[in-house]
Amino acid sequence: MSDVTSDSSQAPAGATDTTTVADLTAAHEAAADVPPELVAQSLGQYLRASWARVRGGNSGVLPVVLAIVVVAVSFQIANPKFLSAQNLVNLFEQSSIYMLLAIAEIFALLLGEIDLSVGLVMGLGSVVVAELVQPTGANWPWWAAIIVTLLACCAVGAIQGTLVARLRMPSFIVTLGGLLILEGVAIIVLGGGLVGIGNSQYRNELVLYNIFWGAFTPLVSWILLAVIVGATGTGLWMRDARKRRHGLETPPRSLTALKIVLMAVAGIALVVICNVNRAHVGTIEGVPYIIAIVLIVLGASTVLLQRTRFGRYVYAIGGNPEAARRAGVRLPTIRIWCFVISALISGIAGVLFASWQVSLTTNIIKAANSYVLLAVAAAVIGGTSLFGGRGKTIHGVLGGLVIGGIYNGLYLQGVSSQWIDVVVAVVLLAAATIDVLSRRGAPRQA
Amino acid sequence: MGPDGELPVTTVPGETAAVEPDTTTAADLTSAPEAAAEVRELVAQSLGQYLRAWWLKVRSGDSGVLPVLLAMVVVAVTFQIITPQHSFLRPSNLVYIFGLSTVYMVLAIAETVVLLLAEIDLSVGAVALIGGVIAFKLVQHWPWWAAILAALVSCGVFGALQGTLTARLKIPSFIVTLAGFLLFSGILIVVLGGADGSVNLDTSKFNQLVIYDLVQGTIPPVVSWILLAVVVGAVGTTLWLRAARRRRQGLVAPPASVTAIRIALVALVGIAVVAICNVNRGTALKSVQGVPWVIPIVLVVLGIWTLVLGRTRFGRYLYAIGGNPEAARRAGVSLAGIRTWAFAFCSATAGLGGLLLGAFFYGQYSTNTADPGQLVLYTVAAAVIGGVSLFGGRGKALHGVLGGLLIGGIAYGVSLLNLGSLSTPLQYILPGAVLLAAVLIDVLSRRGAGSVTRV
Repeated sequence: MSDVTSDSSQAPAGATDTTTVADLTAAHEAAADVPPELVAQSLGQYLRASWARVRGGNSGVLPVVLAIVVVAVSFQIANPKFLSAQNLVNLFEQSSIYMLLAIAEIFALLLGEIDLSVGLVMGLGSVVVAELVQPTGANWPWWAAIIVTLLACCAVGAIQGTLVARLRMPSFIVTLGGLLILEGVAIIVLGGGLVGIGNSQYRNELVLYNIFWGAFTPLVSWILLAVIVGATGTGLWMRDARKRRHGLETPPRSLTALKIVLMAVAGIALVVICNVNRAHVGTIEGVPYIIAIVLIVLGASTVLLQRTRFGRYVYAIGGNPEAARRAGVRLPTIRIWCFVISALISGIAGVLFASWQVSLTTNIIKAANSYVLLAVAAAVIGGTSLFGGRGKTIHGVLGGLVIGGIYNGLYLQGVSSQWIDVVVAVVLLAAATIDVLSRRGAPRQA
Repeated sequence: MGPDGELPVTTVPGETAAVEPDTTTAADLTSAPEAAAEVRELVAQSLGQYLRAWWLKVRSGDSGVLPVLLAMVVVAVTFQIITPQHSFLRPSNLVYIFGLSTVYMVLAIAETVVLLLAEIDLSVGAVALIGGVIAFKLVQHWPWWAAILAALVSCGVFGALQGTLTARLKIPSFIVTLAGFLLFSGILIVVLGGADGSVNLDTSKFNQLVIYDLVQGTIPPVVSWILLAVVVGAVGTTLWLRAARRRRQGLVAPPASVTAIRIALVALVGIAVVAICNVNRGTALKSVQGVPWVIPIVLVVLGIWTLVLGRTRFGRYLYAIGGNPEAARRAGVSLAGIRTWAFAFCSATAGLGGLLLGAFFYGQYSTNTADPGQLVLYTVAAAVIGGVSLFGGRGKALHGVLGGLLIGGIAYGVSLLNLGSLSTPLQYILPGAVLLAAVLIDVLSRRGAGSVTRV
């Protein structure tokens, strides 16, 4: 089962079935072994099969896309500035942190574990990277500071992962204790004062600052978009063509084309929005670097989870750890690596966080803790299950956008932060409820 | 099998059927140390046999309160050595620690109720603070008992809501209560009247003074001694009579010497506490002495929860569900009902903890009074280090009290150390490390008990 969903390229060729349409509607619950959309031969069949799957309880990204629409429409009605290019770029920037943390969290959630320390791994990462580039302090080059920061975060993940995987301590307790210790360590590293990276006289600080606040020029943005859409589109198309040549199950051509067109439209919309001048005075335009960073992390983690043996094992453990163990999967190793990757991505978020905040204080580090709730909420809203084995990193990106939209929209309305917290809590509960109910509707897993 | 098997024995000794008195126990004990060590402890006929059986139980992984008692000794000795002027064990500091710890004790008892189910409540800190603020706000206009009651009931409702989501919808409790933590932290600020809001007790008004005195008020030394005599007398008589009754009816009862030692220990601890509290800890101008009211209050909470957990059907069901939910369900226990009530009781008890917290900080509540996140970590750490298992089915209210005292001692000890800039981070690192150490002991001791079957 997990083999099919996690790696569709290896699904064996089923007999081409000319009566699929009738079968699909008649037995949409029972056909869990081979997802009907895999054997669909035309776009219409595919859409019908997807709808049957949604009705069967496995709704995928549909709820989160609906949530994005609802958030966009309701806040736009409340405040016409919400969908302005200026605010949208602001929203993307803000959401990028949530997206990265949600992707980090998904690596733990897929195993059926949870990582409550992502917020403070980010906090620790931001403090370390900011301290390392201080001209009066360590004065390291920016790239060395980033590498060491990411390595330090990986070490934190390895320690927590070892406690969870080898000693079988519950992950939410290990990471709860871990986040407290990290908070203390981050405050020690910070040294009680204020660390800033806003001084543009020093090149290393400037590079760090520009990671969040810098942007590609409009022209470069367009070229990059063309390159990315071209490369991904060709990749998708070639893969399908190869599969078809080898007689493997392939989605219909029209579907592949539709996917590529959708991607291009989304990309063009994004670049158009970002290329509007969003400065009050002077010129700020172009796609922010962080969007590219999020896309790289998304792409790399998607490939890792969907196309490698490691990814298959992650889904296998999340679906049924005992079955995975008996199939020869080394549970502790995979689990530890997942926690390391989670911490690595949180560390990347930490570098962005330092760049976003410009100057770091003890209170900002303490506030970093609340990001874990947003990360879990983003992942679960996006469609990742709390119970393991179901989810993709794209869910983190979409869920992060919803959370960012809610935060940004409520903030525009002048809602105070405690009420925003209340709303996010309710959203998290709603997402968890949907997750639980959709699992109930879905065919029972052994 | 382990936690399930020990159920009827540890929780309801009153209903255990009489076991044939075994004259060869001593020989058996050494030959089969792992099997049924607890039953042997129950059927022990003399003090020596009892101690040997107890030691076997400790060695087989069920160490009970031993680790937390050892930890207390280590913490006390360490802080006594490293604090400036060796001031840690001064009576004034000890009484302060008692007061601070009572908050953690009550919260840890509350958390224990939920932990017994193998669930967790991460919102206790925020719920406790809301309970405290509600009581403080209401007592400005209402009589003190009505304010306290209203606060506890509101907290109970918060808990019941979370319990319903966990029990009926089967959303994992740590997610429900994590969201609850965020939700209630937000509502807390709203109830306080904004981020810079606060509520203070006016001690010139009787009703507000009562709540203030819950922690700050003291019992006069003479009355303290009389109360101690009454409490020890009552507890001792009850224990002795219960053992005698059981012996008369042919049920298994601990040897008389064990009962006597227990009563002596209770008396000894009581005398030590009263003696410490009766030392004048005031200034030259104003003497302060006597047992703070909060100590008997915590004892009452401890007594009530010990009775509920050990002697009522609700308590038995909690252990049954924590040990093996499926077995409990097949035995006819309403899982959802018991779980919902457990969360409600946990939150109501936590509300009392919040009340004590506000009174401890001289009747002042603001957003800076306590960090709800830190509070919940201290709470879980206190319960787990006291001996309550995170995996359900194992723990007592007493464990929460002992764990709370340890956490309170550590928290205050660190603040005595004059660490300068290190003292803030240590307030985070220490409870985190203590929590991890406690869970590690919990995990390893379950492994030693040879009963871990979960993947």
